[in-house]
Formats: sequence, structure tokens, C-alpha cells
Amino acid sequence: MAKKLGLIISMVILSLAMTACGSEAGKSKSDELTVYTALPEQEALYYFDEFEKETGIKVNFVRLSAGQILARAQAEQGNPQGSVWYGSPSDTLIAASELELLESYKPENADLIPEEYTDSDWDWTPVYVGALGFASNSEWLEDNGLEPPTSWDDLLKPEYADNVSVAHPASAGTAYTVLATLIQLKGEDEAFDYLKSLDKNIRQYTQSGAAPARDAGLGEVAVGIGFAQQILAPMEEGYPITISYPEDGTGYEVGSAAIIKDGPKEELENAKTFIDWTVSKEGQETYSKGGYYRLPVNEDAEIPKGATPLDELNLIEYDAVWAGEVRKEITNKFEEEIGSEDEAQ
Amino acid sequence: MTAIRIGIKKSLKMQGKQIKQLTKQPFLLTLILLILIFFFVFAVYPIFQVLKIAISGEEGFSLSNLKEMITNHAFLRALWNSIRLGIISAVLGTAVGFLFAFAITRTEMRGKKFFHLMALLPIISPPFVIALSMILLFGKNGAISNGIFHLANSNIYGMGSLIFIQTLAFFPIAYMNLRGVLESIDPSLEDAALNMGASRWKVFKTITFPLALPGVFSALLLVFIKSIEDFGNPMIIAGDYETLAVQAYLQIIGMYNLSSGAFFALALLIPAFTAFLIQKYWLSKKSYVTVTGKPSQSTIKINEKYIVYPLFVLCILATGTILLFYGSVAFGSLVKVWGIDHTFTLDNFKYVFTLGFDSIKNSLLLATISTPITAILGMIIAYLIIRKQFIGKKLLELSTMLPFAVPGTVVGIGFILAFNEKPLALTGTAFILIITFTVRNITTGIEAGTNSLRQVDPSIEEASTNLGANGIQTFFKVSLPLMRSALFSGLVYSFVKSMTSISAVIFLVSVHWNLITVSILSQVEGSRMGAAAAYVMILIIIVLIAIGILQLVVNKLGPAKRRK
Repeated sequence: MAKKLGLIISMVILSLAMTACGSEAGKSKSDELTVYTALPEQEALYYFDEFEKETGIKVNFVRLSAGQILARAQAEQGNPQGSVWYGSPSDTLIAASELELLESYKPENADLIPEEYTDSDWDWTPVYVGALGFASNSEWLEDNGLEPPTSWDDLLKPEYADNVSVAHPASAGTAYTVLATLIQLKGEDEAFDYLKSLDKNIRQYTQSGAAPARDAGLGEVAVGIGFAQQILAPMEEGYPITISYPEDGTGYEVGSAAIIKDGPKEELENAKTFIDWTVSKEGQETYSKGGYYRLPVNEDAEIPKGATPLDELNLIEYDAVWAGEVRKEITNKFEEEIGSEDEAQ
Repeated sequence: MTAIRIGIKKSLKMQGKQIKQLTKQPFLLTLILLILIFFFVFAVYPIFQVLKIAISGEEGFSLSNLKEMITNHAFLRALWNSIRLGIISAVLGTAVGFLFAFAITRTEMRGKKFFHLMALLPIISPPFVIALSMILLFGKNGAISNGIFHLANSNIYGMGSLIFIQTLAFFPIAYMNLRGVLESIDPSLEDAALNMGASRWKVFKTITFPLALPGVFSALLLVFIKSIEDFGNPMIIAGDYETLAVQAYLQIIGMYNLSSGAFFALALLIPAFTAFLIQKYWLSKKSYVTVTGKPSQSTIKINEKYIVYPLFVLCILATGTILLFYGSVAFGSLVKVWGIDHTFTLDNFKYVFTLGFDSIKNSLLLATISTPITAILGMIIAYLIIRKQFIGKKLLELSTMLPFAVPGTVVGIGFILAFNEKPLALTGTAFILIITFTVRNITTGIEAGTNSLRQVDPSIEEASTNLGANGIQTFFKVSLPLMRSALFSGLVYSFVKSMTSISAVIFLVSVHWNLITVSILSQVEGSRMGAAAAYVMILIIIVLIAIGILQLVVNKLGPAKRRK
């Protein structure tokens, strides 16, 4: 009996000691960080290794698509499992900030980031920029003796009939950026007129934003519309793709990062360190060091070789915040006007 | 009036009797209670959480909100598309599955072992990769459409391709189920008919097929549900053909609208449960007992050329298609750029190895843990459903069907909603993944198990108890060996689906428990098709080894008397 009692007491003490340790660890700095990222696994791994080299903080991460991270953060609200949300288009983060899922934080190098990319409350932080471009199948261009398209109107030419691919704006942030860009460039009515004409040349509205560039590489379509990094990645893999940009004006996505509200307490400091690092010169230059084609937002950072710097493109003044706010309306309108026309065919 | 009263009295009396009987068997009672609680907590409760979100909408619950959604044109179109797709895929998938099962259990065909293995391969159907090889084979620039037939403009997107891919992907479910059923039909019945001069066709029409009906119905049901719930294939290949599961996914992932996505997904339960109820109604009307425990001789297997040859050709065709698809994935894993530069290389595998084995190891470990739990639990539930009378049986059947019939996305989100906070804070653990595998994959095992047991005369088990064995001994020594084939189906399906499922687990993987399918998806989205194909090949090798081991284990169970 006495033995049993002794055992119980020592167990209670042990468990108390352990919880004490636990809470102490909670207060003191953990050397780990939990991240949800929408970047490709191998690419994210590279950045996180660089981050660990610099700061000694080990990043554990889960790779999900941007929309999945949002759904997950929404469901996990109350007891979030992740600290940082890294590398997804700003419109998902705008949606998240409306749902009050994000913790506002202004990083150290905030003043080096152009204001047009940033959120006024710093609920999220821009980390890269990618311009919209056209991926054309090089072999197809050669066979047909054509030059790659250099304007949005080029895509309406009969040569491209049933041979253009873009993602569906309701399913992919990439395609929504295309839609929002056209509206900002041409005005809403004219943009929808344009899309109706373009619809005749569209072979398929894909679900994934990366698919059109890949389909162009495979020869499934002649031209795919996507962000530069989505086009340059299969190019690098060896797919015969020629990249070009609309000279009459193109939009861009602002890839962003944020701290998740009420995430693991012991990781909060590390989360801030991570956000600071991603926009620092060193952090931003990992894009070019690792051979990835994301354009840095920090004006001091070097631009990756092979990527076209934004100032060589005719960029529109893309209003990401506006685009995030009217998303639902516009995609619904797209579904109604362009979708219903499909029905009629 | 009095008749009704008597009826009510009678049913009350029945219920009272059932309760009394159960209280006499405290072990059985505890078991049933535990299973009911388990499914209430891990199947009904998470989906109820999603339902709450679905009907509350953005501005709280309102009937007009609900009405608006139900009468929405796009919603109705997607619902109709899903049902139509489900019915066609179910009929085709079950037909192919039946032919395979019949050829393998009833004929003296050559290469039966090979066909058996090939018929299991498509359940692996790794996320997105098969639809992708469809593009590479039959697309505009496809190896077959353009390379062989020089079709410059083949359009593979649409309902036709979708039906084709779903039939290919889901017929193994029908096959596994029907093989068990056909195997356990006592062949002496067929032999007797033959000896009395019936033709093969007559035997098939009047004995084999009617006795296999429960299996046919449950195969139809399972394939129907899988088809309407599927979103991986329609996502890539459906083109303009909108289905409810895809729309649900897009509402959540693309439109950031959890509420309407949940509503779309839960609407799938209406056709799923309708099919379920129709099936139960049909089955309740007849007896299918053929295994009576009386000695039976091995059957006279079909050897007539006019039956075997056409079946053989069909099996070859189906197997050839499977090999074509999986072969092209193997090819993709061994060349530099799949579809473009076909220089041989091992780089894709080297690359996968540098990324590490963690996700592969995790998937393997969790699948290995959940597989026996799922399969044995499935057999126990099948046994309870067929052999025992208890209150809440219908409830149990429905709740085991629930996580199978709802799209994975909803199951995943439901699990986070239900188990993210105390007292059941399970998110981020391996436990939650194992549970997800179990509740999501148990249905095929239960269906196969009930179909097998329905054919077994309960007097065999009664004999065992009369001879002094208790309920547990009887179950493990008599019933389970008689359900061997169903057990095998349950084990294989559960293992393979645990290794390859994506839609539910994508919400439940955590930094310490990442899975191979998430890695594959990441490679696909990063345009690294070669690496994705290499992962799939590793997956296929693991699954084939596992099937081999499971076959050995199951064969050890009881004498292999009717096995050839």
C-alpha cells in the first residue's frame, strides 16, 4: 500500500514538474517555428534551410494550397496549430484578415517595401511579386510561323482559336488576378466584353493556376496565361516554352506572409524573426540564390537571373486590396456571364 | 385501430425482448455501445459540425437563405450532373468488376492470379497522376491520339473521359466485393443444376446471378457513392461538366466560402442515402443462404471455350488499359521531361530521395496501424449487423456510411472543427489521421463482410456455441474464416486508401505527420511531373508488397478448402 502511495506521489510530482517545465518552455524562446506554406515543397525547404542557417530556428512546415490554408486556418480558429502563413497570394490573406485570423506585425525593413504592395494595417507582409505573362509552346510557334503574343488583344486572333488556356477565376488566385487586371486596365464593361471574345479561343478553364503554363509546355494548348514564376518553373524543367508579357499593361500578384492570430505562444518571437528575415535583403536574395524566379519586394535585393524585373514591364497600378474586396462579386459575375455562355454553346 | 395498437404493442414487445436478450450478454452489450459511441464521436459529430456551418450561412441561419441555395440553378445542375455521372459509373464499374470476379472465381481461365493483381492496381489511383497520364496519352499532343492516330485536335475534357477514368478507378471496389460473394456461394448448388442438365447460361441466370445480387447491389452502391464523392478526377478532366463534389471544393478553396461549400458537399448525402436505402430495401426481402456447413465438393469450373474466350478478351482489354496508364506513369518517372524529352534517367528518383523519406515512412506507419483496426472492426460490425438484433442497428449502419459518402474535404474540415479544442484536442496528432483512415475506409469492409455472412447459415455458428464455444471464440474461429475473402478486401482497401487518400488528410497533416500524397500533390503543383511519377512508383511498389503480405496472412486463416 505504502509502495503504491509512494508511486502515486512521485508520479504526481513528476507530472507537476513536467508541466512546470512545459510552461517555462512556453515563456522562454522555443527554437522551432511552425509554418503553413503554399510554395512548392522543395522551394520552401530551401528558404527554410537558409533561415535556419542564419537564425538557428528550425522551421517545421506543411505545404498546402493557398485556399486550403485559409480553410484550415478558419477551421482551426480558437486553437491554431501554425504560427506563420507564408507565400500565398495577398487576396487569400486579405480574406483571412477580414475573418480576423491574422495578427498584425510591421517588420523591421517595412520602409524598403513599396507602399502599393502593402496592407495599411500590416496584417500581412508582402514577400515577393510575380507579373502575369503568357507561356507559349515554342514548337507550336515555330510550326505556325508565329511570334509569341505581346498584348491581351493578340490572344483574340483567330490563330489561337480553341488554343488558349487560363485557370477559372473561382478556383485559382492566378485567374482571379487576370480578371482583376483586365478590369483595372479596361474598365469593367469592356473587360467583360473582352473576356466574352476571349472565351471563343479558350480551350479549357483549368482548376489549378499552374496548369495553363504546364499545358502549354505539353502542347495541350498553344498559349497559357500565368504568373512568371509558374511559367519559368516548367521552362527550367525543360518544357519548350517561350515567355512573353502583355505590353499594353499587366497585373501582378503580391505573394505574402502573415502571423496567425493566437498561434503557439512560444513561437511568437520566432514568427516575428521569420517575417523580419523574409523581407530583409538576405532573405529576399534567397530567391535568386536558390534559382527561383520570384521578384523581391525589398528594393535593395538583387533580382533573379532570367526573371524580368518589374520596371521593364508595363505594369498597371494593381490594387490588390480592392481586388480582394470585390472578389466575390466579380467571380460571380464571371460565372454568370461567361459560364452561362458556355451553356448556350 | 386495434390492429395498430396490437402492432405497436408487438414492436414494443420485440424491443423489450431485444434489450432483455442483450442484458444477458454484457460483453456484447458493451461492444455494441462502444462501437456506437465511437461512430457517434468520430463520424456523426464532425459532420454535424460541418452541417451547422452549412445551414448557418454568413449572416446566421435563415430559411430563405437555405431556399435560395437549394433553388440555385448552378446547384441543381451540379447535383443532376453528379447523379447522372454516379449512375453511369456505378453500372459500368460494377459490370466490369462482375466480369472480372466471375472469370476469376468460376472459370478455368489462364492467368487468373495476374488478372487478380491487375484488378487491384487501380485502387491505388494516386491523386491527379492518372488523369495526367490521360492527357499525355490521349490529349492533343498525346502519345496515342496524336502519336499513333494523328488526331490533331482530340478533346479529352468532358463527361466521357470522366466516366472512363472513374470506371477504371472504381471497378476494383466492385470486383473485391463481388469476388468475395461469388467465392462464398456454395458451388454444389450450381453443380447440382448442371448435373440435372441445365445449360451454363441457365445456371448463371437462375442460380449464380440471383445469389450474387446482394454483392451486385452493394457494388453499385459503393461505386455510385465513390463516383459522386470523387473530386480528384473531375477536377482535372471534367472540363465544363460541373459536379457537386468539385463545386463544393471550389467554394471552399477558391471562393473562400466554407459555408456554401459545406452545403454543396452535404447535399451529396441525399443521393448517397437514397441509394443506400434502396439497396437495404431490396436486400431485406430475400434469403441468400447457401453455406450451410454440410460438406460440399469443389465446383466443376467453367472450361467451355465460348464462355472463357470472350471473358479472357475482356480481362485482357481491361488489364491492358490499366497497364497502359500505370506503365506511362512508370515511363514518366524514368525520363527527363515526361512528354517532351524521353532520355532515360534516374534523376527523378534521386531527387525524391534527397527530399527525404519522412512522408513515405509516416504514410506507411499510419496505414499499417489503421489497416488491421479498420478491417477487423469492419468484420465485427458486419457480424453484428447480420447476426444480432439490437436497437440502433440502422443508426449504426447509417453512421458508418456517413464519412464514406461525404467528400473528403468535408470530413477533413469536420475533424478540425470537432477536435481542435479541449476536451478532444486531437489536431496535429497521428491519432486523428488513424481515426480518419478508419472511419473513411471501413465501409467497403462492412459491405463485403455483410455480403459474405448473408450467405452463411447461422446454424453453423449455433453449432459452435452449442458445442461450448463462447461468442468471441465463435466469431474468430468460425465466422471470420468464413468471411476470409471479405476480410482480405477490407484489409487491402483500407491499406491502399490510407496510403493514397488526399482530400481529407490535407486538412489534418501536421508538421510532424506529413504524408506521401501531400508530397505528390506538391510536386504536381510545382510542375515536377517526373518527381510526382517517381513518388507514385514508390507508392505502387509498397502497395504491391503489402497486398502480397496480406494475402499470405489471410490465407493462413482457416483451411484453404475452397481456394484454388
